[in-house]
Amino acid sequence: MRTEIDSELGRITYLSAQKPVSSATRRRRRLRTAAIVLATQVALLAVLLGFWDRMTTNNSQAAFMFGSPSAMAGFLGQMVSDGSLWSDTYVTGLETLLGFLVGNFVGTVLGLSLWYSRFVSRVVEPFVIALGSIPIIALAPIIIIWFGTGLISKVAMSTLSVVIVALVTSYKGAVGVDPDQVNLMRTLGASKFQIFRKLVVPASLTDIFAGLKLTVGFALIGAIVGEFMSSSEGLGHAIFKAGSLYIIPKVFAALVATIALALLLTFLVGRTERLLMPWRRIH
Amino acid sequence: MNGVNITARAIAEATAPAASLVVQHLAKSYEVSGRMVPVIGDLSLTLDNGQIVSIVGPSGCGKTTLLNTLCGLVPPDSGRISWYGREITGQPQNVGYMLQKDLLLPWRTALGNVMVGLEIRGVNASEAKDRSRAMLDQLGLHGFADHYPSTLSGGMRQRVALARTLVNEPAVLLLDEPFASLDFQNKLLIESDTAKLVRRGGRSLLLITHDIEEAVSLADQVIVLSKRPTQVKAVYNIALGIERTDMMAARDSRDFSKYVRRIWADLDVVLQ
Repeated sequence: MRTEIDSELGRITYLSAQKPVSSATRRRRRLRTAAIVLATQVALLAVLLGFWDRMTTNNSQAAFMFGSPSAMAGFLGQMVSDGSLWSDTYVTGLETLLGFLVGNFVGTVLGLSLWYSRFVSRVVEPFVIALGSIPIIALAPIIIIWFGTGLISKVAMSTLSVVIVALVTSYKGAVGVDPDQVNLMRTLGASKFQIFRKLVVPASLTDIFAGLKLTVGFALIGAIVGEFMSSSEGLGHAIFKAGSLYIIPKVFAALVATIALALLLTFLVGRTERLLMPWRRIH
Repeated sequence: MNGVNITARAIAEATAPAASLVVQHLAKSYEVSGRMVPVIGDLSLTLDNGQIVSIVGPSGCGKTTLLNTLCGLVPPDSGRISWYGREITGQPQNVGYMLQKDLLLPWRTALGNVMVGLEIRGVNASEAKDRSRAMLDQLGLHGFADHYPSTLSGGMRQRVALARTLVNEPAVLLLDEPFASLDFQNKLLIESDTAKLVRRGGRSLLLITHDIEEAVSLADQVIVLSKRPTQVKAVYNIALGIERTDMMAARDSRDFSKYVRRIWADLDVVLQ
């Protein structure tokens, strides 16, 4: 950035100067760094798999206890060919996504609206802490009694795992807004609702998205735990079944699919964040 | 809200009281760990229409408390505050407010930040956009309307903040150390622009600062505050005998350093 000063008028003019590094060069550099990071990650994974393979190839006891990469790959291939990989991933993915969306929506709306009233937030605070400290797995039997053994009970488990975290992170974002900024809006004549809409909600987005990223895992745990309790399909069902039959490599095969699902959801959240917060892309 | 706004302005124009702001015997204390600590002792001041008044005082003398009280953000314990000849409690209309922190909203572009006050008052979008763009141009930010604050320099951000204040056409501006974080050149330039826009627009300005040179070069009157509990210690009417929009000329004028030295002596600054 160049600054030009016209002393006679006492006027300052800012001109965009030619950037020293062209954007093409910068993009190339960024791509190169990304490629190096990816290569290191792949190498690390290969080393881990290689170690695992070495430990289990000539040791049938170890292979039984810990499975082996080749056996795991075999089960993955089998799950692809009989179609159970897709159907199980779809079922668990749907449960997780619905729980994630409902839990975050409800939690965020409640968390943000607590900004409106200091009184209400103080009243509900101990209840929120109490609810947040309940291990969700303890609720599973009741959830099954209430919602049955189908999709709804897993979505309920997933929602419950998410909602308190979403509430707390969004409330933290809302009350963390700079009080000077609130005062400025007040001096500009803003009503409480205008302050909420134009300042509090956008200012909380950073915390809300931090919560979203955190709750991908929680939503998945909720869905899988729900499937452990009672289910006829889904990745949690596959893991539970294979585990009770001591087919360890199949447990790992289903876990790989679970991890892939978590990565996909995290990626989608990241994409949405970039889309909704364009001002954070430039620095 | 608009109705009140218009009435306030109509009254101000029709009866044309000499003063935009009159403060009489203002007092304010805060409770700190169970003990009442008086911040403002007994403070009276007058800001005439079209006048620039600077307030200087030792560190921690309650300048910000004074400003927040004037803005109606905190109620005073006692005393009277009249805006445009009328005593009001709460938010005064037609008053612009600017701090050392630019308080720009990072998710809005420069233009979007300037527009925020007009949006709040329900000015239609295209008019708000045109007025805000014109104000940015006037402050030398032509071509930066669509930049996000994170891509602007400190001086430019403070100019955007000034544009956001001025675009609402406030009759009175309350500025609290607005240029304190800027380097010397940027500070002189933005001070000159502020002086021009305020004086040409016939607006009044109350400037709270710790920078004595800034106070003397900008203002018609400098009010020196005492330590807490704050009172008015001295009042100087600044007569430099020059065009008051050129900050460099102000510093060159004959009596400038005389005022600065006297105010410095009044502040009674000791090494702690």
